[in-house]
Amino acid sequence: MKKIVTFDPIVIPLPEKMIYRRLGYKTGVTQVTPAQTTEIQKYVEDAQSIIHLMGTALHLPIAERSAVDIRLENGVTFHSRKLSTFLSKSTEVLIMAATAGNDIMEAIRKDTTGSNVTRGVVLDATASEMVDAALDWIVAYFNQLLRRENRTVTQSRFSAGYGDFPLTDQVVIHKILNLEKIGVSITESCMLIPEKSVTAIAGIIG
Amino acid sequence: MNKKQTIKAMLKEKILLLDGALGTKVMILDGAMGTELQKKGMPVGVCPELWCLEHPEAVSDIHTAYKKAGADVVYTATFGGNRIKLAEYGLTNVREMNKKLARLAKKAVGKDTLVAGDISSTGLFVDPFGPLAFEEAVDIYKEQVQGLIEGGVDLFVIETMIDIQETRAALLAVKETAPYFTLVTMTYEKEGRTLNGTDPLTALITLQSLGADAVGCNCSTGPEDMVAIIAAIKPYAKVPLVVKPNAGMPRLEGNQTIFDMDARSFASFGPKLAAAGANIIGGCCGTTPEFIRRLKRSLSGIKPSAVERKSISAVSSAWGHKIFEKENPLTIVGERLNPTGKKRLQQELLDGSMTLVRQMAREQEQSGAELLDVNVGVPGIDEVRKIEDIIRVLATVSKLPLVVDSSKIETIEAALRFYPGRALINSISGEQEKVKKLLPLAAKYGAMFILLPLTDGEVPETAARRIEIVKDVFKKAHRYGFTKEDIVADGLVMTVASNSQAAVETIKTIQWYTDVFNCRSIVGLSNVSFGMPEREWMNAAFFSMTQTAGLTMAIANPGSEKLIHMKVAGDVLLGKDKNATTYIAHFSDLPPEPKPMKGPSEKPPVKVSAAEIKITTSEDSVHQAVIEGNRDRIVEILKERLAAGEEASHIVDSMMIPAIIHVGGLFEKKIYYLPQLIASAEAMKKGLAYLEPMLKTTKVTKKVKGSVLMATVKGDIHDIGKNIVVLLLQNQGYRVIDLGKDVKPESIIEKSKELRPDVVGLSALMTTTMVNMKDVIGLAAKEGLKLKFMVGGAVVTDAYARSIGAAYAQDGVSAVKTVEKLIKSA
Repeated sequence: MKKIVTFDPIVIPLPEKMIYRRLGYKTGVTQVTPAQTTEIQKYVEDAQSIIHLMGTALHLPIAERSAVDIRLENGVTFHSRKLSTFLSKSTEVLIMAATAGNDIMEAIRKDTTGSNVTRGVVLDATASEMVDAALDWIVAYFNQLLRRENRTVTQSRFSAGYGDFPLTDQVVIHKILNLEKIGVSITESCMLIPEKSVTAIAGIIG
Repeated sequence: MNKKQTIKAMLKEKILLLDGALGTKVMILDGAMGTELQKKGMPVGVCPELWCLEHPEAVSDIHTAYKKAGADVVYTATFGGNRIKLAEYGLTNVREMNKKLARLAKKAVGKDTLVAGDISSTGLFVDPFGPLAFEEAVDIYKEQVQGLIEGGVDLFVIETMIDIQETRAALLAVKETAPYFTLVTMTYEKEGRTLNGTDPLTALITLQSLGADAVGCNCSTGPEDMVAIIAAIKPYAKVPLVVKPNAGMPRLEGNQTIFDMDARSFASFGPKLAAAGANIIGGCCGTTPEFIRRLKRSLSGIKPSAVERKSISAVSSAWGHKIFEKENPLTIVGERLNPTGKKRLQQELLDGSMTLVRQMAREQEQSGAELLDVNVGVPGIDEVRKIEDIIRVLATVSKLPLVVDSSKIETIEAALRFYPGRALINSISGEQEKVKKLLPLAAKYGAMFILLPLTDGEVPETAARRIEIVKDVFKKAHRYGFTKEDIVADGLVMTVASNSQAAVETIKTIQWYTDVFNCRSIVGLSNVSFGMPEREWMNAAFFSMTQTAGLTMAIANPGSEKLIHMKVAGDVLLGKDKNATTYIAHFSDLPPEPKPMKGPSEKPPVKVSAAEIKITTSEDSVHQAVIEGNRDRIVEILKERLAAGEEASHIVDSMMIPAIIHVGGLFEKKIYYLPQLIASAEAMKKGLAYLEPMLKTTKVTKKVKGSVLMATVKGDIHDIGKNIVVLLLQNQGYRVIDLGKDVKPESIIEKSKELRPDVVGLSALMTTTMVNMKDVIGLAAKEGLKLKFMVGGAVVTDAYARSIGAAYAQDGVSAVKTVEKLIKSA
């Protein structure tokens, strides 16, 4: 039986370019004074020091598939034509999750409802991009392990809520990955708490 | 002669490699094992080590093929032969399996080819980067090492590592088991760091100081990228460099992973790798005996480049390093992580909280510290446990290398063992016990140390006596292999309040370190003025004098602006800041390029001066404060304008409102991005809040343009977008009722009935919650309410908005416009 792998902490380079892009920065168009640059850069660094990236992942063989279903070795079945197409070349799936932790959410809440909304939006964007980059990191980690077996993880990922893959399956993923262990809970409307938490499925090919 | 010396002698005899100056040929390693095992029929998903034991002939064939291809060293098929990995397949006989696989390799290649016991990752990250305890990791590797030794390996290779702490554990496991020659190679991603964030030079500094006999890289990338890595680290290497690239980059072809390089192309990089500084070369994933055969041929007659250094003055953390070259600017060692005289920090350390530690580390790094001094000396504290705790935190929040500061030997030992880098010990004095116990510890863990010139019962007052002590301690340190590059001599600063010659003697001592002894130096600055009034001036004058005497580093508070100003000025005057680049950046409005804390730099945003921004032609300070988002200054500016006799209403109508409208325009054109828009909105809000009472007293009421009820719909907890819209609407003169997030349709309708807003704004981030917008609008219709709805959020589109009978707002600025339109159309 495959074990869930937990990563705590996940240490990644700051995805600066993506953070600025998320904040609407357009190279060659957006103009920023040195004072503004210093301030915003400081907020990005603040965010980086507050964010505690963690993640979990599990790879499972695909036991059975049809055009609309994917059944995994552990008995879980996902009903989604698009997911099934996405995994058509894969023999296994890599199910993963990452979170930025509670502290950053508290800081964002405090800033955006208080006296420094500017800092709040920068913290928010940094957390979003870092969580996304954490999933990239998990994929790279598994690629590292699988490379010697001549196997690889698909570059793109699929998440509950995309296309016909119901968001309600977030509950299943939450359970499979035991996300409570890294402090991630799920609401009745399938939202992950802390909000800067994401889950995804990738395929393993080869 | 121990085993390691035997191996060194064998290697030297065979290829004269280890003394780089005498090396006559590049040593050849084998190629991929995994790829070859698959060709021999090993299926996916099995335990490779077990499969190898069940198919000994297949493994022997591969070893033999690599030997025939010209490999000087073959790796045992024990890549995943550790307790954790084998347990994934229900296997527990770690030692026996490793022993058998080592014997298999030895038997296959005979006496002329060396067999390296292959060790790699457990798949778990090691404390402080993961769940596996450091000592457990060492223990796991020792078990594997023991089996491999019993199987007769000639040397060890620790390969494909991504976690520097796990790599340290594996290397210590070998060193603490038997003195074997050990190659260590880490795996760097395309962007030049391991997955855990360590760059090649940092890894080299850490591993060669910890006792690796050769260091380098393998896997992940092809030979082209590795040429660059090897060239970059060669000038700092005091050991031979190893490289084992993949056969190019892997790509998917159908369901197969294909490496894009053939043997001929791969081999063509052999001479380039050797020229870059590689002394030991092989192949990793995708390479075959044919690759190695061609590689060997391509390197025929090529002399490996010499190992250029015998030592290096450098320290490292997991993610960064600091090299103390003599021509470099003075280094500031942040002193604040020391509880002496700091009650809050003392209490925090006692309580086990690390909030202040994180904050102090961050602040010191941002203020310009390049190393962090760490001391946990609080009465009644378990120093050993606490130093590990603090390292655990600092290792994951700061890239700055640490200076381990303690008077207790056991604290220093614990820190050196656990710290995932090369530390600087503060300090080793001439005291007998310190010399006897700390020198071997520093040598074992490869640490640098501060040499404190005092002995048992003596704090020497003169430079002459300090020099004697330094010479004596260094002589003893030299026996452990230390060079002058490994030490930083302390100037020993005493207060001038009790000895008028104290500072003079320290300056003389530093001058001798610089001019005669030729070593790095350090002082704790502020002691010089202890007991004196106006200490700052004395510290400043003393600091300048020590800089002139050639001081390498100062333990000081980097938060002191004057100190940092003097440092950067002194660096220019002493020719250590070429073109005064750092000085100019420090004192001008142009900050240095933003530096990422944990990873490689990406291109930072374009920075231009305020004058270049065609954002306003107004000379007006209030207007400008809003445009620039100057929240700190706006109230002060308003006070000045009011004192000059301007009316509050005039300021609002003629300066602030046009300014915020202009900012909206800049945002729409993307000349401004979100933080600038929000900063301006916050400046506006702050200014309006200050002027509000004055607007009332002058009986000018700010005109309310309309009312908007805002809510993030049921099920959705993401409200930052909605909060931004609220802020912008308020600034534009709208009354906003914010119901918050996760709001039920019934609550929205009930409030709408009660307050009769001109517009109801609904926000949602997810496709699943977006549908709740429709419910709200449906419920309003059912209740017979004629409300105007505006909707927005990440997944909401104009088409969706129209389909449910609402207006669409793409962002905060467009929300303001949409509200204006909706109200006008009423």
